[in-house]
Amino acid sequence: MEYKLRKAEPRDVSDILRLVKELAKYEEMEDQVTLTEKELLEDGFGDTPFYHCIIAELQGKNSSDDGKVVGFVMYYFTYDPWVGKQLYLEEFYVMDEYRGMGIGSGLLRHLSDLAMNTRCTGMMFVVAENNEPSIQFYKLRGAEDLSQEEGWRLFRFSKNSLVKMGTPAEE
Amino acid sequence: MHFKVRAATKEDCKEISRMIVELAVYEKMPDQVKISHEELERDGFCQNPFFECLVAEVPEENKSKDGFTVVGYAFYFYTYSTWKGPTLFLEDLYVMPEFRGNGFGKGLLCKVAKVGKEKQCVRLQLSVLDWNTPSRDFYAAKCAQDLTDSEGWHLIRFDGQNLDNLANEAPKD
Repeated sequence: MEYKLRKAEPRDVSDILRLVKELAKYEEMEDQVTLTEKELLEDGFGDTPFYHCIIAELQGKNSSDDGKVVGFVMYYFTYDPWVGKQLYLEEFYVMDEYRGMGIGSGLLRHLSDLAMNTRCTGMMFVVAENNEPSIQFYKLRGAEDLSQEEGWRLFRFSKNSLVKMGTPAEE
Repeated sequence: MHFKVRAATKEDCKEISRMIVELAVYEKMPDQVKISHEELERDGFCQNPFFECLVAEVPEENKSKDGFTVVGYAFYFYTYSTWKGPTLFLEDLYVMPEFRGNGFGKGLLCKVAKVGKEKQCVRLQLSVLDWNTPSRDFYAAKCAQDLTDSEGWHLIRFDGQNLDNLANEAPKD
């Protein structure tokens, strides 16, 4: 199966949201996706995008397959005050029926090239500890589990806590 | 003690760089700091900055024993959740030891939250070392959830030669 990788364009937001929801459904958390196409469009294709996307699109001889969006990566740039720019991989997904064809590896390689070309010294992401296949996949390729090796724990403040902290009792 | 939290300027990068090293020493990883104030100036004050920074400043009469008036910082950037939208990541939060216990850390954290709120951010995330109980307690007291504990998330990284190898491997097109 032939496919091509390209930068996402505004017209891709409905496919991106579809794939986000498919992945969330697989993780049994589909109802937690509250983002809309309009927000994805404003946040990804405005003056200062919050994210970037690479799309995997089929190039089928069969016209019903041609141009079908079957996978994506969403990433953004972060900053480590010790070493500088990093590439953060937020989402990485290939539709179930199109796996095993090298699309996932192709996306990962494309991203790694991009990281090197944009002066990033590392690529980071999170993985759930019970997702053994993914952890093995990454470790085989030289990734370090920083939670295990250095003891880093991921913390989150939800919107309510954020709002409470952001409104001072007195100035 | 009176203090002010304000947005960092390019001129603050030397002080921020000094404190980045102090924090790395506290985290027992001082040899891992590879960039200096010059990279911070370039990357934080360009057209599309890669990070933002707030500093805690004291008046001249309260300066540190070594003569510094910029005595704390919060270093953060914008990230994105495919489920919820724009989010903030707090990369570093640090107050010099001699100024702790005066609400500087809380002041910096709350100002970051306020910035996030103004930019419609729905979450603030950060990472903390497992042995760093004072910090874990500080964030828990403000209602942060430890997602490594509650949901099993682990932070993963590819860097250096491993990143390079990844870029070179896999089937050719």
